[in-house]
Amino acid sequence: MLNLTLEEKKVILFLLAVAFCGILLHGLTKLNFRAQQLYAPAANLAQLDLNGISLEALLESRALPEKTARSIIAYRQEHGNFGSLETLKEIKGIGEKRYQQLQGLFFVK
Amino acid sequence: MKRPLLVCLAGYCLGLVLVSYLRVNFWIILGLGVVVFCLAGFFLKKDYYFVILVFSLAVFLGALNLKSSYLRPKCDLSNFLQYHDDRVYSLSGFVASFPEVKNNCTSFIFRAQSIQRENIKSPCCGSVLVQADFLPDLDYGDNLDLLGSLRRPFSYAAGKSNYKNYLARQGIYFVLPLKSSLQIILEPKKRGFNLSTSLFNLRVKMEAALNRNLAPLPASLVGAMVLGQRRNIPWLVNNAMIKSGTVHILVVSGFNVGIVILVVDLLLKIMRIRRKLRIIINIVCLIIYCFITGATNPVLRATIMGIIYLGAYFFQREPEIYNSWAIAALLILFFNPQQFFDLGFQLSFASVGAIITIYPKLKSFFRVNTCKSKFWRFMGEGGLVSFSAWLGTLGIIAYNFRIITPVTVLANIFIVPLAALITLCGFALIFFGCFCPFLAPFFGLTSALLINLLLQTNAFMIHIPGAYFYL
Repeated sequence: MLNLTLEEKKVILFLLAVAFCGILLHGLTKLNFRAQQLYAPAANLAQLDLNGISLEALLESRALPEKTARSIIAYRQEHGNFGSLETLKEIKGIGEKRYQQLQGLFFVK
Repeated sequence: MKRPLLVCLAGYCLGLVLVSYLRVNFWIILGLGVVVFCLAGFFLKKDYYFVILVFSLAVFLGALNLKSSYLRPKCDLSNFLQYHDDRVYSLSGFVASFPEVKNNCTSFIFRAQSIQRENIKSPCCGSVLVQADFLPDLDYGDNLDLLGSLRRPFSYAAGKSNYKNYLARQGIYFVLPLKSSLQIILEPKKRGFNLSTSLFNLRVKMEAALNRNLAPLPASLVGAMVLGQRRNIPWLVNNAMIKSGTVHILVVSGFNVGIVILVVDLLLKIMRIRRKLRIIINIVCLIIYCFITGATNPVLRATIMGIIYLGAYFFQREPEIYNSWAIAALLILFFNPQQFFDLGFQLSFASVGAIITIYPKLKSFFRVNTCKSKFWRFMGEGGLVSFSAWLGTLGIIAYNFRIITPVTVLANIFIVPLAALITLCGFALIFFGCFCPFLAPFFGLTSALLINLLLQTNAFMIHIPGAYFYL
């Protein structure tokens, strides 16, 4: 009829499968809110836990200069866990510009 | 000659390398080139000599083109400035790129047309990278007057792949930092191409469709895979992909171009459009897609190769992969020879080159085709493609990133099929997000599920002992 090639038939099947999977996930989330864990990536995959990360792990991540990493950990040891990301600004050497860069790197539980 | 374009490409690239390391006068290269050209005319009937002379001619052509790309016109900005120049200038011109916003800062390329210091105004030419520490309301094509002091880009690393050279390859030799909106005076008229503005608006709509139906992290990854917009990818995710050697999936490349061809052809087939017209429309769509994604080197390569393939089907000729690969490289290098030193160009062509040369040999060596189980054949082929690409890019990655990632081969077997599914889902999501928004959330949920799976797989891979090590 339409002379679809094998690849084109596969594409159509794939689209239907995706839509079906989406409907299933949608239904599952309605039934049980925890089903969201299936498709919501965990925060620690894209960000570092500011209160949980060790100095070694922070240095190994190569996300920020050694000096800044050490000041962050020293601040945490001195003042206890960070209440919010804003507290980073209180650390010597972290200005507004550096804070903007670090904001996307860390999360606070 | 079985593959003449490969010979030309080899000669052309040799010319680029030679001239970048040796200091040779432009006119000497030109003179030698003319001599070789005349000799080639004499030896037209002697195949062996003719091939050598054509190769030499390609060497001179590459050298000459690179030399001429270093030459700057008389009106260039650098001719108005001293090397260390802190004076404040007023530049008139227009916004030549789409402003990029990151960390509350905006950057864009500004095409200067006149420069003024005190009361002396002179016409000029050249591009400037403007970095504003605030968020000005600007758009592509806006006519502006900018006030500030120009500085030369700083190179943080040695070698040809540093930031200064990266900007120089785009014709940018100056950076203009802006601290206050008072340094920008917006003129009423607009410049630039209407087509570019339309394509940019189309891309913005597509990105909006992604952002409506996905959380920020999955949206950033799908945006990179489908639209080539990598600016929102979190640093950690990008770094994790580098560690597993799978960062190439975040770049628009041949696979995306293949999907565009397949989907457009399918839609046109359903609309019962004739074969030749379908191919022409497909080529137009490919070019549009190339510009939407920013026309970076991998997309350009894939687009040119795709057009050559479609052209071959149009004229009912057998496409030759080596020649189409060489044409893509020659075209890009002919228009901008400095791209030869661009990391994206090197990785893109090295990986594809390795796949088309090494993979068939490995496949026949390991006799993958004789495997009866479809699953193991798929795994074997996937592993060999990944291994070939890894071999092809190993040296470049080790030199530039100082990292060796043995886990790449294994990671790619699992991650590439997932990335392929995500890309297909992303295309479907954008299509339904734009034309049928009530269906889009279902595609969004499946995309998010696949992205989650991909990130988890990647995290698992880089935690395997010996997965990667820094040099």
